[in-house]
Amino acid sequence: MQNGGASSDQNGSISSVPRDTSRPLTEDELDRYSRQMIVPGMGKEAQLRLINAKVLIIGAGGLGCPAAQYIAGAGIGTIGIADGDTVERSNLHRQVGHSTSRIGQSKVSSLITHLRGLNPLPTYVAHTTHITPLNAADLISQYDLILDCTDNPATRYLISDVCVLLCKPLVSAASVQTSGQIIVLNCPPTPQGQLDGGPYPPCYRCCFKKPPPANAQLSCGEAGILGPVVGLMGVAQAGEAIKILASALHIPTTTTTTTSPPAQGVPRAAPVVEPTLLLYSYSLTSFLSPFTFRALKMAPRKKNCFACGEGSKQRLTLEGVKNGEPNYDFFCGLGGGGPEKGVLSEEERITPREFVERVQGKDGNGKGKKYVVLDTREKEHFSFGSIEGAVNLPFGKLLSKAAQLKRSGETPKVGDILPPEIQVRDGHGDKDIPIYVVCRRGLDSQEAVEKLKEMGLDNGGSRKIVDIAGGMKAWKEQVDPSFPYL
Amino acid sequence: MSAPKPPKGHFNILYFATASSHTGKDMEALPAPLPLRKLFDTLEERYQGIREAVLDHSLVTINLGYVDMPSSEDEDGEDNVTVIQEGDEVAIIPPVSSG
Repeated sequence: MQNGGASSDQNGSISSVPRDTSRPLTEDELDRYSRQMIVPGMGKEAQLRLINAKVLIIGAGGLGCPAAQYIAGAGIGTIGIADGDTVERSNLHRQVGHSTSRIGQSKVSSLITHLRGLNPLPTYVAHTTHITPLNAADLISQYDLILDCTDNPATRYLISDVCVLLCKPLVSAASVQTSGQIIVLNCPPTPQGQLDGGPYPPCYRCCFKKPPPANAQLSCGEAGILGPVVGLMGVAQAGEAIKILASALHIPTTTTTTTSPPAQGVPRAAPVVEPTLLLYSYSLTSFLSPFTFRALKMAPRKKNCFACGEGSKQRLTLEGVKNGEPNYDFFCGLGGGGPEKGVLSEEERITPREFVERVQGKDGNGKGKKYVVLDTREKEHFSFGSIEGAVNLPFGKLLSKAAQLKRSGETPKVGDILPPEIQVRDGHGDKDIPIYVVCRRGLDSQEAVEKLKEMGLDNGGSRKIVDIAGGMKAWKEQVDPSFPYL
Repeated sequence: MSAPKPPKGHFNILYFATASSHTGKDMEALPAPLPLRKLFDTLEERYQGIREAVLDHSLVTINLGYVDMPSSEDEDGEDNVTVIQEGDEVAIIPPVSSG
């Protein structure tokens, strides 16, 4: 596997396509691929390299769907799709390989159904499972090139590490809210730990040494994602993959001597290592701007990289990965201590049902204003509704206001922090009117309660500041099943 | 393509993804010159908590090129001499993981 890599692949079990770069194209192929084959730089040999190639797409979601469409359309001969999820209605605005009629089906089989419609010629291989440290090497070793279309840091580090170990090129993309990133890693594939005669291409760890802290890892479900933003990144992944395969850049550099014959008779210029990270920053409020696309020159393979740098062979092995070393969940801050863990005491919390029964009562808040409700969700979430009379102060704003006040050294007053609705009543003698804090799922609200108390807004304990436990999610479950919780 | 020119004696700093949500800005101009190793302290002073929440795991570029952030772990301190100059464009780029 190490010597000759993809070119010496003896495993014909997956692909029914002969790995022959000199055969004539069939009538179907000639017709189907004619428009791309006549593009300058392509031609018959490049097309046959695509037909002979095996590509693994990990993740059949917002990146994987658009990527797979163009991979299939271009005639890549063997296309593996790995994902353990099923199609949900909330996927469909961006995951264009699925359909309303296939909600509930496995994403892998749904996407393959779609791809067969586009192009029946490739061999499609279904891996109906999430990639894990246990199966990663088995999956990745069957392919020539890997597309990382997954959705979390732990998996990204795992895929990159195994691609380094197996000498596979990796096209990695990611997207959330209005941001997208794409980079080609480990291409041309270079043996782990090789540094002499470089520069060599970087791996994911060379670019991003440390993952974001667990509470800063935004998922599309939590933070949102716009279809065209992630779609553009997925399409760009397919573009990079097609380029690499058509130009035979995926064949590993097995030796540093320049006299070695070109692999498989493929004419190759010495590959230039110019790793580039493409950033896409989309704005809902401005047209194409200078910030929209930025191509950043990245550093080559790093001497001190954990996975591919000096001494990495002792730190990172296939055996080790299988046995849980390194521990990817722990590295990414996901080990132990579920997110539901409470930080507040009993008296500082109230369930939505108790809130309705004991606080709101039959007459609601009325004119007398017995309490205020502070909703710390983002204003977009708040725009769909909240608890009656609630005022909105997004958690991030609350934190930055608090930090600002702390810096200024002044003693915070309620009016400095909270919206005017609360401030006014505070100035009218309702000094100790209790504050109930609610958020989406009941985590931010607990921190908000702590923060407000820390700033002394509980007036030394005479004002109650209480967390509505479980947030609007629990509100929907316990109080109002029709509440539009997103 | 480039961002608007920073005022005299300043450099531009661009904030992407969570760096932008943490600072509430896409970009701003900061006084130059500034040694690269002082950049994170300068930002932490302005935006408390940004180092842990954003900077520690972000990559940094100057004029669209990656730069190694000098840190105590680095044995070769050759990057400690980098100075951000007037007119430079610095970018803070946190990794995005979703898809």
